[in-house]
Amino acid sequence: MSSANLIRVALGAYLLIFFSYLLGPLVVMSLTAFNSSSFPTVSPWACFSYEWFDVLFNDKHIRDGIYYSIVIGIGTVILSVSMGLAASIVLTQVWPKLRSTYYTMIIAPILIPGVVLGISTLVFWDRAGAFFGATDGSFLYGLFHNGIFLTILGQSSFIASYAMLVFVARLQRFDTDLTEAALDLGATHTQAFRKILLPFMRPAIASASVLAFLASFENYNTTTFTIIDYKTLTTVLAQKVRLGINPSISSLAFIIIVLTIFAALAFEAANRNKEHKLAVKKGKASERKSGILPSFMTGNPAAILLVLLAFVVIVMVGTAQKYSPETCKIEVREAKQIAIQQRIEQLKEARRLKDEAKAATQSDAPAAPTTAAPKNSGAFGNVFAPTNLSDEDDAAPKAAPKDGNGAFGNVFDPNNLNSE
Amino acid sequence: MKKKMIFSDFFKNNGVVMGTLLIGLVSFWLIFLIILPQLSMLDYSFRFNLPPAEVGGPKDVYTLSNYEHLIYGSDSTHQTYNTVDLKVFVRTIIAAMLVTIFNIFLCYPLAYFLGQSKGSGFVRLLVVLLIIPYWINEILRAFALRIIFGDSGLLNEALMFLHLTSEPIDFIRQDIALYAGLGYAYILLMLFPMYNVIESLDRNQIEAARDMGASWVHIHRRIVIPHAKPGIVSGATMVFMLSAGALAAPQILGGPSSLWFTQLVYQWFNDSLNWQQGAAYAIVLLASTIIIVLTVMKIFKVNMGDIGK
Repeated sequence: MSSANLIRVALGAYLLIFFSYLLGPLVVMSLTAFNSSSFPTVSPWACFSYEWFDVLFNDKHIRDGIYYSIVIGIGTVILSVSMGLAASIVLTQVWPKLRSTYYTMIIAPILIPGVVLGISTLVFWDRAGAFFGATDGSFLYGLFHNGIFLTILGQSSFIASYAMLVFVARLQRFDTDLTEAALDLGATHTQAFRKILLPFMRPAIASASVLAFLASFENYNTTTFTIIDYKTLTTVLAQKVRLGINPSISSLAFIIIVLTIFAALAFEAANRNKEHKLAVKKGKASERKSGILPSFMTGNPAAILLVLLAFVVIVMVGTAQKYSPETCKIEVREAKQIAIQQRIEQLKEARRLKDEAKAATQSDAPAAPTTAAPKNSGAFGNVFAPTNLSDEDDAAPKAAPKDGNGAFGNVFDPNNLNSE
Repeated sequence: MKKKMIFSDFFKNNGVVMGTLLIGLVSFWLIFLIILPQLSMLDYSFRFNLPPAEVGGPKDVYTLSNYEHLIYGSDSTHQTYNTVDLKVFVRTIIAAMLVTIFNIFLCYPLAYFLGQSKGSGFVRLLVVLLIIPYWINEILRAFALRIIFGDSGLLNEALMFLHLTSEPIDFIRQDIALYAGLGYAYILLMLFPMYNVIESLDRNQIEAARDMGASWVHIHRRIVIPHAKPGIVSGATMVFMLSAGALAAPQILGGPSSLWFTQLVYQWFNDSLNWQQGAAYAIVLLASTIIIVLTVMKIFKVNMGDIGK
């Protein structure tokens, strides 16, 4: 009994650790989107504010990046889904002895590092341009050095493998007799493909397209080499993060996280609804009684959560129009100024006491400078709590500049200039 | 002769229009997007970095100098080794292996738990929670970790608040943030293949073993792990290849002085504009990772066909 309990506790602790490793960083990042501090952080919490969303929406680079990401995503979906579908159909018909070699070849791009794919695409099309004798300024040269064209090709080379895997799973359940029957009845091969195989593959095509679009949208390693003059959302983000971070990136992340949760909940809710309807049909479950909630929500926690989330988002957007953190910001700024003053006083005091102590030891009269540390620092609460607590007993000047850096390093952050 | 028959069969099965379309798409993919680009990169890596006017001229000959640079550096007498780049290379490979092993141990219990407890609402919730971070951009995930591991980040504030440390720890310079970020970035690619194979394991096998008196360790060693082997190896392959080839996480979370091998490739391409040198480095990365993966697959007797299931 107790060992079973022990296992259960261990499992709970393990799940907790795993999911906090997985989700904790995302939660913290989302929170930083609402802190008015110009450095993405949660612990000296300044003011609740929506201003970083404003900064985000007014950022031209990010808007351009999203636009090109979508264009490239659509191109990649079309190319990679059709190549993946063709490859999976060929896989079902290929000569058995060739089959494993062929499979290795079409699965390999998943395992090739994205950096290598990007470089090889770039090098190959540059070479192809030279081979065709395309000179600078000609159409072919322009095409083979066009970031969008190259990125679509580079991304499709491995995303087609993902699509292929989705199709192979679905094709295994396809009954080839259906196609043969259609052919016997006089359909052409093209008609049989269009009327029989394609409708059967439609769910797989839909999921492969979503997968391909998302994979393209978030790809960085390949894109960063092939994109050349253009930029996608990921390359813009990478550049921003490397140059200096500010919370508008957190606000973008927050939006993406909310959208993902929306999609996941909607998918789950639709699935449950379908399952329930199936169960009703088979007579395994009773028709839902229409209670207070609309019928699609009863017994479907995902749907309830979905509606709640939508409500929260609407409330947030609504308050964002009216809410202004100005008063709070002024207060924080004043508090900061007072804190700086206090700090300076404290340092002066410490230096004075030290000098006195020195004088005292020199004159052989040991005055006790034990209560040297000023008490008033407590008033600023959590803002400076960690540093204050640690150097209460020796407010030595050498530690001071360092602390200052950590505690109100924001003041000197160049990003401040943009926000204020 | 035989080949001809295969092709004619293929066109008989699919019709001329569809057959041509299928063959055309597949060969475009294989030839123009995979094989020729890799070959031209290989070719490039054996050439000198010449100004455009001299390309194709008498100086445009094959050379090993790009590979020699990785081993000996710019020293042409081959007396000293290029310790900086070689160290980065070795570090990248070893760190990627460690990240992979860390992920195997972290994911196995969860994959087992999810795979064996079927259908309950709690498990479904956990799966949804797992999928959410999977679709968040790699860069944003690295950014999230940077917020936590930064100088005045949450982790340092928490440690100082608890009096575990008096000075902020520089997680970024010590590469702790980088390793945590790499483990974080690809953990789900380890989890899902493992989960898929463990889910297909018949529960009765475990119960039977338990009834016969097998210990907990025995059950895992003799039943679950052998059954899950293809999933584990496939997940490990993906995580290893992706972490060795990662670029975003090292760029965002790496310390200023310590580099990842892909960053060297990136520098040759984008900063030094020496594509030939960059291509040689990329070939070294590709070849060594593939050799390692194939060796591991051979040791554990797993086929290529198990990957991606």
